Amino acid sequence: MPPPWSNERASDKDRSNLAVNPQGPPFLEMRGIVKRFPGVLANNGVTLAVGHGEIHALLGENGAGKSTLMQILYGFHQRDAGDILIEGRPARIESPKQAIALGIGMVHQEFMLVHSMTVVENAVLGLNLSIRRLLDLKRAAAALQALSDRHGLAVDPHAVVGHLPVGAQQRVEIIKLLYRDVRLLILDEPTAVLTPQEKDGLFAVLRRLARDGRSVVIVTHKLHEIMEVADRVTVMRDGRVAASVRTSETSPRGLARLMVGRDVALRADKQAVARGPAVLRVENLAARDAAGETRLHGLSLDLHAGEILGIAGVDGNGQAQLAQALMQLCPVTSGRVWIGGQDVTRLSPAGRRAAGMAYVPADRRHVGSVAELSMIDNAALGTQARRARAGGLIRDEGADRGFAKALAARFSVRAAHLGQPAGTLSGGNLQKLVLGREMMREPAILIVEQPTRGLDAGAVEAVWGELLAARAGGMAVLLISADLEEILNLADRIAVMSGGRIAGTLPAAHASAERLGLMMAGAPAPDAQPLAAVEASA
Amino acid sequence: MGAGHWLGSAFLATWLAASVRLSGPVLLAALGEIFAERSGVLNVGIEGTILLGALASYLAAYASGDVWLALLAGAAGGVLSGVLLAWMYVTIRASQVVAGIVFNVLAVGLAGTLYRLALGASAAPQTVAMFEPLRFPLLSGLPVLGPVLFSHAAPLYLAFALVPAAHFVLFRTGFGLALRAAGENPKAADNAGISVARMRYAGTLISGTAAGMSGGYVVLAEVGLFRETIVSGQGFIALAIVILGRWRPWTAALAAVAFGAADALQLSLQLFGAGLPPQLLLSLPYVLTILAISGLFGRSAAQPAALMQPYAPR
Amino acid sequence: MTPVVVRRPGPNGSPAAIAFHTALAVLAALALAGALFAVQGADPLAAYAALFSEAFGTMRGFGFSLVRATPLALIALGTVVAWRSGFGYLGFEGCFMVGAAAATAAALASAEGRMLAPLPSWLALALAMLASFAAGGAWAGLVGLVRTRLGANEVLVSLMTNYVGLLGVQYLISGPMRAPGGLPQSERVPSDVWLPFVIPGSRAHAGILLTVAAAGLVWFLLRRTPLGYELIVAGLNPAAARYGGIEVGRRVLLASVLAGGLGALAGMAELLGVQHRLVDGMGGGVGFTGVVVALLARLNPLAVVPLAVLYGGMTVGADAMQRGAGIPSSIAAILQSLIVLLILASERLRYYRLNPSLFRLGRDRAGAAPGRPAGP
Repeated sequence: MPPPWSNERASDKDRSNLAVNPQGPPFLEMRGIVKRFPGVLANNGVTLAVGHGEIHALLGENGAGKSTLMQILYGFHQRDAGDILIEGRPARIESPKQAIALGIGMVHQEFMLVHSMTVVENAVLGLNLSIRRLLDLKRAAAALQALSDRHGLAVDPHAVVGHLPVGAQQRVEIIKLLYRDVRLLILDEPTAVLTPQEKDGLFAVLRRLARDGRSVVIVTHKLHEIMEVADRVTVMRDGRVAASVRTSETSPRGLARLMVGRDVALRADKQAVARGPAVLRVENLAARDAAGETRLHGLSLDLHAGEILGIAGVDGNGQAQLAQALMQLCPVTSGRVWIGGQDVTRLSPAGRRAAGMAYVPADRRHVGSVAELSMIDNAALGTQARRARAGGLIRDEGADRGFAKALAARFSVRAAHLGQPAGTLSGGNLQKLVLGREMMREPAILIVEQPTRGLDAGAVEAVWGELLAARAGGMAVLLISADLEEILNLADRIAVMSGGRIAGTLPAAHASAERLGLMMAGAPAPDAQPLAAVEASA
Repeated sequence: MGAGHWLGSAFLATWLAASVRLSGPVLLAALGEIFAERSGVLNVGIEGTILLGALASYLAAYASGDVWLALLAGAAGGVLSGVLLAWMYVTIRASQVVAGIVFNVLAVGLAGTLYRLALGASAAPQTVAMFEPLRFPLLSGLPVLGPVLFSHAAPLYLAFALVPAAHFVLFRTGFGLALRAAGENPKAADNAGISVARMRYAGTLISGTAAGMSGGYVVLAEVGLFRETIVSGQGFIALAIVILGRWRPWTAALAAVAFGAADALQLSLQLFGAGLPPQLLLSLPYVLTILAISGLFGRSAAQPAALMQPYAPR
Repeated sequence: MTPVVVRRPGPNGSPAAIAFHTALAVLAALALAGALFAVQGADPLAAYAALFSEAFGTMRGFGFSLVRATPLALIALGTVVAWRSGFGYLGFEGCFMVGAAAATAAALASAEGRMLAPLPSWLALALAMLASFAAGGAWAGLVGLVRTRLGANEVLVSLMTNYVGLLGVQYLISGPMRAPGGLPQSERVPSDVWLPFVIPGSRAHAGILLTVAAAGLVWFLLRRTPLGYELIVAGLNPAAARYGGIEVGRRVLLASVLAGGLGALAGMAELLGVQHRLVDGMGGGVGFTGVVVALLARLNPLAVVPLAVLYGGMTVGADAMQRGAGIPSSIAAILQSLIVLLILASERLRYYRLNPSLFRLGRDRAGAAPGRPAGP
């Protein structure tokens, strides 16, 4: 049944069997796509073909260029070079509206839903902007019900979206696209927010859509899910296509190698350091994110002086909450934390800082620094009362300036002057400022989260050097990073996080990118040992 | 003086009639403000817009003697104010609160200056033509109901007629849906092909038009004069009504009548010489509004999620 | 066609650009208001000269300007403290009245035969100030509490509290504090607790000294103390503040109390310096004009006092022009608000610059357009 609003579209076509000539062109072809952002070549001659009725996985690490490619296809970004062909015809896609008119729809990782409205209101949103034309919600609801029944979506058109669980909201996004008669659905990390049961339901829906002749692109880095649902997989690495293969002709192991197996460009010069006593002990830590979702499920770990414990994992598996929970910056629901034998479970962020913790957050621009304030003021963040005179009542400007000056010199932060607002510093210099500020306090424990994300090679080298120097100086470093190369280069022990838990821990000597990639993707790691065993062997 | 007077039908009729009458201007302004806030704009500038609308109506009535033309002039004054405000809110993306309150100061200055410019500095205040109370055959003669419901000037009936109209546009048309989406989740609205800026302009302009008419109402149906002080707080009362009315026209109408009732009650109590301090009654609606914002009557899920957040498209 | 202006990635933040655009905005405001003079048959330049010479040319006029500036500046300082700390307080109309009422109550208590009569007058005056500050602090602190504890929007709540404050004072002067006689007003406070006049031959009272001191203290608090640093960080970036160990809720609460106290002192100064008795509507919109002054000062406490004197002077000059030339005094409000509105608008202008390719005269057209660094 055609949607009620599309009078002009070819509604005579039989939707239940989108007539396809198997010898004809694929539904979508992207050829030689190039996209350049300031300082980054995000897509470098990418080619992608998706056939009618095909479920196609787009695989790659963070920053491999898959999101950019999909945003070009959906009209969010404009390509610098290359062609897009829909059913063999060249297409111009300059806005999501044009993409939808061409039959391309996208389910973003962050759902584009209005929570206070019903499913049917969300579905018709934007289709009819006239004040004179009435909303025929009844008719639209009937159409949605029919779509829901036919594709097994189990969506109640009259439900208020905000009351639905996440999995159902995702199906609302899908039904919105089907209501617009989209022929190719792009799903960005569709399983990241789903329970295993919801995931199975989603895959069933996708298979049904494919049988219907519609095409599906799943952007993901979960290998076993690709093997489970996709027909073909295109692997991207560093803005290029590493391979495009049928899933029946590959294995998770092969895909992992394609995904992470790049040339290691940087090598850190790592000296052997004797491991000291355990300074941080965490037991059964559970925490929620800002939205109230539990992201950390009873995690335990030990961290020793003079070691770097790497926490590897795909983004969004609870790493951010681990760091925040250690600093008491997100709602902690259970668990205990000791620093050097002192129970700090109840201490505030300031209290934990005083007890010897320091933290370099992933978002150095919005959490780690205050963009509007000078380098001097940013250098003082967290120690603002320390250099004060008159019993902590008056800031000692000279001391603050001297501290910032020493910091800039020791960590070679390059800036025009110390009064420069932190927001105007380059990513690398800002990170050196934040890292330096935390290290200058000489904490016992340094938590660093994605320390080199978005930095150029020179800055990466500098940050790595500082982290190794901290380790050599006896600091205990918790390195949370989604970058395997970084973890492999720096860490003494590596713990892999998956689904808010530690999936396994390896001594660095036993780890390889391939093996970690498998563990990150949730595949069983037969010989990974529990934490205690690794401790014993280290 | 005694309790007998209190419940007497004379008191009741006077009070209820005044309640309805006094709720008119603030209801009109609140109905418009609902559109602005539903689109994501907290239009604090309606206070000044009401004042400028009042001035425009007064001057038009002074020049033409035609009350309907004057009411239209009030609306036109509101539209002009709305254009300036929407430009600040949406195009400049200034803080809505800042732009609104500065505009209110500007409006006070403009109203005083333009009034003197038009009438000359020394002119004594002159009354203008006003809307006459409508007389309905039979109905107006009914006891109690007659004075309460069938004795008012035309703009009052217009204000109440706009309640279902506003409800209809907000909840039954594609435009209303798009407007609400712009105020709830501008990113999602943008993603659905809706121009958030256009919706917010529309919301602010609707709010400006209604506020301008509200000012005209004050002049043409209540005061018959213009002074810079005839608008003192009606705009902020409208903001309160929108909150108490949970951003919905029908409940806003109820809240407006409640405000009118409190206002009228203190007038009546003074008239009938009761001892209760009138300020207590007058402040009650504000206190209730504060409690409503604070979540005492349940978390205000009704508040548009993106209220006061400027939106910059990609 | 080549566009004449192109968008910059961020606003041009150089001091020169800010000064240029601010000057442009002020000139545009002066020109627009000048057009209003011209419409009334006055020579705009002469009118401006008259406006400012009245306000600043004579000691008497300057004294009036200082009188007008005092509540404006105190409210602007309250705005600086609140807004810098991320607390969007707009309840200064109410604070003003609450502060005036508290000062009245304390001052009246020191009248002949009352409770505080034995106190020396300077102590009674100090007590009146303290009472006023405390009342305003509690008044606005409640809004702070509602925001930090219940998560309510302080902008809307504080707007509503204005009317509660105004009505509360109306109640006081028509009931418990009403003086015998026909008018709803309080008794006159005894003259020995008035703020002393400080410039002979003018009405300027000691409130302006208090204001200068308050500006210095606010500046010192925000710029020179760890506490002020925490307030500013909490205001600019609550996430970074929490990360840095700052208790954002407590800091916001403190800011609300300080802001309310300053707003109340404005009412105290108007009462003990000018009105000397509590009357209805004595604020006359100063609670919002004060916020406008703070915005013009870009929330810099040191800029507040001179700008408040300038804005107060505009009002004084405009009043005089109305008496003399018959030009409406409300032109002052137009000028005061237009300047700020146009400065706000000019901030958006700093996102644009003249298209550099216009100046390259066709040379290297293709290469001029992208202006992006090459990829790695």
